[in-house]
Amino acid sequence: MGRIPLSLSIKLPLVLAIVVAAVAATIGVAMVNRDRQHLREELHGRAVLLARTVAAIAPEPVLRGDSWTLYKSLRQSVRGPESAREKALITAMVLDPQGRVLAHLEPAAFPIGLPVMRPDSPEWPRLQAELVARVPDVFEGEGFVEGVAPVQASGYTVGLARVRLSTHELDEQTAAAATTVLILSIGMAVIGIILGAAWSIRMLRPLRLLSRSMLDLGRGVFRPLPESRRDEIGQLAVSFNEMAAEIEDKRRLQSEVAANEKVLALGRIAAGVAHEVNNPLAGMLNCLSTLRAEKNDPALVARYLPLIENGLRKIEALVKDLLIELRVEDAREIADSGCLEDVRDLVNAEIDPHLIEFVWDNRLGSDDVFNGPKMQQILINLLRNAVQAMPDGGRLLCRLRRDGARLVFEVEDTGHGIAERDQSRIFDPFFTSRPAGTGLGLWIVLRLAQSLGGSVEVDSAPGRGAKFRVQIPQEQPRVAQPA
Amino acid sequence: MLRYALIALAALTALAQPAGAADGPIRFGLTAAVVRENLNLYERWADYLGRKVGRPVEFVQRRTYREAIELLRTGEHDFSWVCSFPYAKYRDEKFFGLMAVPVFEGKPLYRAYLIVHKDSPIRTLDELQGRVFAYSEPDSNTGYAVPRQMLFDAGKNPDRFFRQTFFTYSHTETIEAVAEQVADGASVDSYVWEYLARREPRLTADTRIISRSKDFGFPPLVYRSGIDDKLRQRMTEVLLGMDKDPDGKALLDELVLDRFTVASPDLFDGVSLNPERR
Repeated sequence: MGRIPLSLSIKLPLVLAIVVAAVAATIGVAMVNRDRQHLREELHGRAVLLARTVAAIAPEPVLRGDSWTLYKSLRQSVRGPESAREKALITAMVLDPQGRVLAHLEPAAFPIGLPVMRPDSPEWPRLQAELVARVPDVFEGEGFVEGVAPVQASGYTVGLARVRLSTHELDEQTAAAATTVLILSIGMAVIGIILGAAWSIRMLRPLRLLSRSMLDLGRGVFRPLPESRRDEIGQLAVSFNEMAAEIEDKRRLQSEVAANEKVLALGRIAAGVAHEVNNPLAGMLNCLSTLRAEKNDPALVARYLPLIENGLRKIEALVKDLLIELRVEDAREIADSGCLEDVRDLVNAEIDPHLIEFVWDNRLGSDDVFNGPKMQQILINLLRNAVQAMPDGGRLLCRLRRDGARLVFEVEDTGHGIAERDQSRIFDPFFTSRPAGTGLGLWIVLRLAQSLGGSVEVDSAPGRGAKFRVQIPQEQPRVAQPA
Repeated sequence: MLRYALIALAALTALAQPAGAADGPIRFGLTAAVVRENLNLYERWADYLGRKVGRPVEFVQRRTYREAIELLRTGEHDFSWVCSFPYAKYRDEKFFGLMAVPVFEGKPLYRAYLIVHKDSPIRTLDELQGRVFAYSEPDSNTGYAVPRQMLFDAGKNPDRFFRQTFFTYSHTETIEAVAEQVADGASVDSYVWEYLARREPRLTADTRIISRSKDFGFPPLVYRSGIDDKLRQRMTEVLLGMDKDPDGKALLDELVLDRFTVASPDLFDGVSLNPERR
């Protein structure tokens, strides 16, 4: 029961109905039993009374051998007038002490002078017990009770009066009472269900309201609950409202902090950009002032122009990377791994196949979808990094796979690896180990991966290559996406 | 003076009452010979007789014939309708005399019917051996003497022939005992059986006649020997004249009798043989 998830609105009326029905049934059964006991005792009393009546009038005709008078008396005392007739009467008889019929209500079936039954009859033992009875008694049989009374004359037992009453009426009355109890129990159960339903609706409405408000709260909408009730549920509403208000405050605070952090991060980037631009700029300005001072020295021009161009290239690369980052940041398109084939083609075009062996291992299916532009950019950056880490050639492996609910993208190279002390800094902006690098590639990878709710791991040692693993959660399939 | 006045008053009182009124009503005994269940009929018959005889008549029911005979002997009863058996048995003692005999189905005769239950497989008296048999009473002709005589004639011992016997002291109840299968068989007065068959067929419908005996003189109406001759003559005349009187005829119809007739005591000779040959 506990494991089957059942709504309270069903459980409550059900439990109430079961309890009410069980109580009604228990009381009813007890009453029916008592009633039956009472009726049975009454039936016993009637059987004995009739047997005694027969026994009282029997001695004279029994002693005289007056079978006809005995028969008439028996008939008269157990049948009597129509109104006073015992309705449960099955039969009645007077037997002699040996069990022979002296008179029987069914003379055709039980002729006088013959034993009332044979010794092999199943009722024989009871008859023997009845024949030795010295006081009126009641014996029970299948479907009847039998009142017996000895017929006595001058202290001698000259016969036995035997009156059999049916328990059919008793059984019928019990059945009728049981039916009444059953109907009553069902009725009570129905009332229990109705009351329980009404009660649960009354009780569950505020709970449902609370649950909806909590859901809304999760989505960022705070709807205060009515605090009209004065019971525990009312207290719950008050507590909830207080909690929701606190959460609201906290969220506002958090968003303010986040906004501040964004400003701070922007400041850091701006400072980094300024610094990165400033370095080549200072060199270039230096070159320009030297050229201006030594205008007529062509050797200087030939020497400084490439330096100036290098500086400008570096600034250009920096700006390009920043632009890429800005462009991709807001990308939303969902795509499957097909869009990554472009990345493969691009990298294939950029590398010298004699130097670098490029292995592309795509195990993603068409159902494995993700943010296409961001993932493209992540892979391009990682693959380019790997290519640049192998100036003398090597093996480049790109493996795309699915691991449970996550998509895993691995880029592995056999290049020079990353020094231990640098591993904690490679994702910092503007950190680079290459003179021409902007230091923004891996920073962009990390930012994009985080924006997808994913993570980036690196496994590397100097001289043993590097392995980057990006894990992102699976996006909802395209069909579920809004058009 | 006063004495004369008293004598005159006494004479007046005596004159004012019909003769014999001081003796009270005429007591007429009834026994199992007739159907006693229809009390109303006997009341009306008593009224009729009283009116005709000029003295109130009272029918008195008696359980046994012997009782009725003894009451006749002691003088308590003036008349009695008795069975042919006690008549034949006691007629020589002369304390009563034959007054009238009913005519039933054209003759002053009746017979014994041997009856069994309508569903009984029994077809002869012989097959009743070892069964329960109902007698009317020990002084009954058709209800006791006749069946025993029949057994005796067939070479059986009437005392051992049946498993059990009992007396009902009424032919009607004997028929009832057979109808209810308390008794397997019985011998009853043909008049009572026929009367019930016509008036109340409920009981007789459940019985079947398996044999009829020879005829006997019908149970007679007798008078006490010491009774006033005029009263006896008057009562005899009234009875014999009932079929000529509309009221009397209606009563006879109800009694299922044709009329009353005078008969010789020889009519009952066949009856008197029975007890002697037992």
